[in-house]
Amino acid sequence: MKVVALISGGKDSCYNMMQCVASGHEIVALANLRPASTDELDSYMYQTVGHQAIDLYSEAMDLPLYRHTIQGSSLAIGRDYSQTEGDEVEDLFQLLHLVKEKEAVEAVSVGAILSDYQRVRVENVCLRLGLTPLAYLWRRDQDSLLSDMISTGLHAILIKVAAFGLDPDKHLGKPLADMQPYLRQLSEKYGVHICGEGGEYETFTLDCPLFKKKIVIDAMETVIHSADAFAPVGYLRFTQMHVENKHAVSSPLLRDKTKQTHTARITTCCAHNSVVQCQSMCKRSFCI
Amino acid sequence: MVNFTIDQIRAIMDKKANIRNMSVIAHVDHGKSTLTDSLVSKAGIIASSRAGETRFTDTRKDEQERCITIKSTAISLFYELHDNDTAFIKQGINGNGFLINLIDSPGHVDFSSEVTAALRVTDGALVVVDCVSGVCVQTETVLRQAIAERIKPVLMMNKMDRALLELQLEPERLYQTFQRIIESVNVIISTYGEDDGGPMGLIFIDPVIGTVGFGSGLHGWAFTLKQFAEKFIAKYAAKGDLTLTPEERCKKVEAMMKKLWGERFFDPETNKFTKTCSGSKNTVLSRTFVHLILDPIYKMFDAIMNFKKEEAAAMLEKLDIKLDTEDKDKEGKPLLKAVMRRWLPAGEALLQMIAIHLPSPVTAQKYRCELLYEGPGDDEAAMGIKNCDSAAPLMMYISKMVPTTDKGRFYAFGRVFSGTVSTGLKVRIMGPNYTPGKKEDLYTKQIQRTILMMGRYTEPIEDVPCGNIVGLVGVDQYLIKTGTITTFEAAHNMRVMKFSVSPVVRVAVEVKNPADLPKLVEGLKRLAKSDPMVQCIIEESGEHIVAGAGELHLEICLKDLEEDHACVPLKKSDPVVSYRETVSEESSIMCLSKSPNKHNRLFMKARPFPDGLAEDIEKGDVTPRQELKARARYLVDKYEWDAGEARKIWCFGPDGTGPNLLVDVTKGVQYLNEIKDSVVAGFQWASKEGVLCEENMRACRYDVHDVSLHTDAIHRGGGQIIPTARRVLYACQLTAEPRLMEPVYLVEIQCPEAVVGGIYGVLNRRRGHVFEECQVMGTPMFIVKAFLPVNESFGFTADLRSNTGGQAFPQCVFDHWQILPGDPKDATTKPFQVVADIRKRKGIKEGIPLLDNYLDKM
Repeated sequence: MKVVALISGGKDSCYNMMQCVASGHEIVALANLRPASTDELDSYMYQTVGHQAIDLYSEAMDLPLYRHTIQGSSLAIGRDYSQTEGDEVEDLFQLLHLVKEKEAVEAVSVGAILSDYQRVRVENVCLRLGLTPLAYLWRRDQDSLLSDMISTGLHAILIKVAAFGLDPDKHLGKPLADMQPYLRQLSEKYGVHICGEGGEYETFTLDCPLFKKKIVIDAMETVIHSADAFAPVGYLRFTQMHVENKHAVSSPLLRDKTKQTHTARITTCCAHNSVVQCQSMCKRSFCI
Repeated sequence: MVNFTIDQIRAIMDKKANIRNMSVIAHVDHGKSTLTDSLVSKAGIIASSRAGETRFTDTRKDEQERCITIKSTAISLFYELHDNDTAFIKQGINGNGFLINLIDSPGHVDFSSEVTAALRVTDGALVVVDCVSGVCVQTETVLRQAIAERIKPVLMMNKMDRALLELQLEPERLYQTFQRIIESVNVIISTYGEDDGGPMGLIFIDPVIGTVGFGSGLHGWAFTLKQFAEKFIAKYAAKGDLTLTPEERCKKVEAMMKKLWGERFFDPETNKFTKTCSGSKNTVLSRTFVHLILDPIYKMFDAIMNFKKEEAAAMLEKLDIKLDTEDKDKEGKPLLKAVMRRWLPAGEALLQMIAIHLPSPVTAQKYRCELLYEGPGDDEAAMGIKNCDSAAPLMMYISKMVPTTDKGRFYAFGRVFSGTVSTGLKVRIMGPNYTPGKKEDLYTKQIQRTILMMGRYTEPIEDVPCGNIVGLVGVDQYLIKTGTITTFEAAHNMRVMKFSVSPVVRVAVEVKNPADLPKLVEGLKRLAKSDPMVQCIIEESGEHIVAGAGELHLEICLKDLEEDHACVPLKKSDPVVSYRETVSEESSIMCLSKSPNKHNRLFMKARPFPDGLAEDIEKGDVTPRQELKARARYLVDKYEWDAGEARKIWCFGPDGTGPNLLVDVTKGVQYLNEIKDSVVAGFQWASKEGVLCEENMRACRYDVHDVSLHTDAIHRGGGQIIPTARRVLYACQLTAEPRLMEPVYLVEIQCPEAVVGGIYGVLNRRRGHVFEECQVMGTPMFIVKAFLPVNESFGFTADLRSNTGGQAFPQCVFDHWQILPGDPKDATTKPFQVVADIRKRKGIKEGIPLLDNYLDKM
């Protein structure tokens, strides 16, 4: 089937694309909803942080990207959904409607794992458009899912934290692979969802096997969204980024090494950042 | 002392009906250890001539120097009851020999925890009361604890020598004093005991049945009415030339005892007992107790102390007292001691009283089992305990750790309640946090060695059956302070002990030489083990805190820490007290906090408890384990709670049992039960570390008014709700006029009238206030009772002594918490200063956090 992939920039939407391809579907277009003015909408539906770098996805995957600005807000927040004018779900409808007309797609790739809220709404939109939702991650065990993501070479970093135990100063910008043991610990202690399905954290994928080129973030800044006393919420705002050709095949050993230095750099940057501080001095590219 | 080999002792241990486990409890300086000595001298190991001087059970050097017991010490005695006396025993027996495991406990309030630990492993208590000072604070405290643990008390009226020699009381007045003391003890028993005595039966003490002893531990003499009754029976029996069987004799003695106390009078003219005080020739008769018991004793004192040699010699002849040649040369007090000891030996009277009236483990464990064992009342372990069955699975409670000569190691001291514990036995060691079915706080190990503990000495022993007190080697590494040892897979824990005091005084310690830090940490671990009460805490700031029940307790703990446990020089901060945080009004606004993902909102308010509820929770009248409806009814009846709300208490906190409540007052909110656990977790946390200065909260009620939640369960997990609950609770606290509470001591000061003025001066300077002042009946001594903030009590004893010429003796017991007046947010008040100091000490950010940190806008 011809598939349009809904992407947020996060690991789940990206991994679901990989699953689609693995099942023999063809991804023909990418679709994304972006916020109008702010970085973080605290939307019930969409990941909006990291929207600055979404445009690079089209380049990285060499596919057309359709974007639509979120105009609605979270109005109908009940368990079920029926068409509601002015709700953010209607933005999704319009976006997919446009893609369907232009690219003649039959299915939509969706990265939902556990959120019934998202599933109900995407299904509602798909039904109205006659599209098939493809959610390969649905109800998968989060722990093994995260391990699979990491082992298939999906490289993502944390760009938003909003849960008890996750600290913007410490954890923002860290690669997912490095966070895995800690997330497991938090899950045991406080019932945090390992894959961040409850909105505990959000990620941005910098590279995965589907990418023809990889995304490189040149500069970013940490923004504290709400200075909660125990679970402060913070996210990264990318200010400068580009795509780069992937080197032919780098030896895994070298790969590990660069990854490490890169992590170290981000953490040091984050350590002396308080509320809003530009990190543009970090000019050197992050490479994998 | 009959010298036993271990094998012989082991044989006696099997006769469970003949074991008496007992503790000696009393107010400080009422003569417990001295009295214990006279028992030891009768049935123990030290020579009879040194009784009254050695304090056998004070094993530590500092205990001997200070003449104060600090640690409770166990010692085993063997006593053989005369055939005639076995008839007095109303429970099953097995032969004449009795094994008495005696624990001498400290009397100073600061060491009450040692008493609690001693009570747990014993079934009976010898309550010692100084007949001059009467029933004091600590007498009441320990007696109350004993009754709560279902320990049967017998009374010893001590220091009669003082009443006779120093106060020169008239016999009739002395009788009145005794009567009054017995009454006050019985008042305590009836106040704290169960209705109709509960399953223990009536436990009131009564001289007539022989549960009250009189005498002097220092001089080594004592008697119960039984001794005198027997003497009279013997006298009459000689006249009537009767040979009585033990049973007949017992009946006669018991009948005689009834005539020796109360409104019974003796007419010497007719040699008859009457019930009125007017004699046959219109003379005023004296009481039997005065005439037949006190008079001879008075005469003996008078004859010897006033050097009336002939008279004394005549009396000795009459009473058939034979002195040793060396004693014959003595005069005055030493002679008096020698005579009295021959006449009315303390050991004999008390050991008889113990053997006859205190319960054996077989008797006691039947009714104590339900209080001791947390599990179901009919499983194998419970049945083993109830029947005191040495073939049942092992159930043993470790009540304390006793340091060994080998530094850093401890004997685990406790009692076998069921089964048999032996060297090499593989057992399950369960700490207080163990829950059946889980692996937490559980170890399965072999017992390296079982030992008998006898005062200063220990003896290895092969195995020990139930009903006995024993020490274990090799268990100390797996238990912090107390625990349960069992061989039964499905066993529940034995109930943990409830202490009457709490560690309210704390100091910070640090090493002088930073390189010694590991030694300090190790030393703190050992200290925590060696004392049932002391708490060793590492603050977030890295400070090491030692918390104890009082100044003396801390002083001893720190000395032990420095000299025995850590063995490095230490720096100690001035003592500080722990505070509690509370609220004084209802929250001024409805507080709202949003979860980090902004999709969940909690609406709550705080308000203070009605007076008395916090105390009820601490006392256990209102508990989390209580049946829901019974608890609700209690709250409605006593505190006028709304009946609906009273049934919707979510939890107690901190630690699930503390005196703060979380109440659900919402109306029909969806998904509320799904977030209950997360809110409760946030509440436990917040009530443990309040917003003002991270001290525990107290007497705060938090109402959940409303919540709005994300419809999808995945967006309202613990990671979202726990921090939100904590924030909203802090917001509630800040908007409800937060206050600090400080601990307050009840001080009881005994002093002569002349220095009462000086006491007032000292108390006033220290924010104390006197609420009762009274003269001890029949003495020139005054008792002043006052409330004194613990924070002001440091150096109080020394200050008081210097202002009263050393004539006033204070006893401080923690009594209650009291609000420290003033708004902690106002920089001019004392609470503000206290909060600032605590925050500084704990290394947390200066100043109380602002409300904005916790309160969100709609």
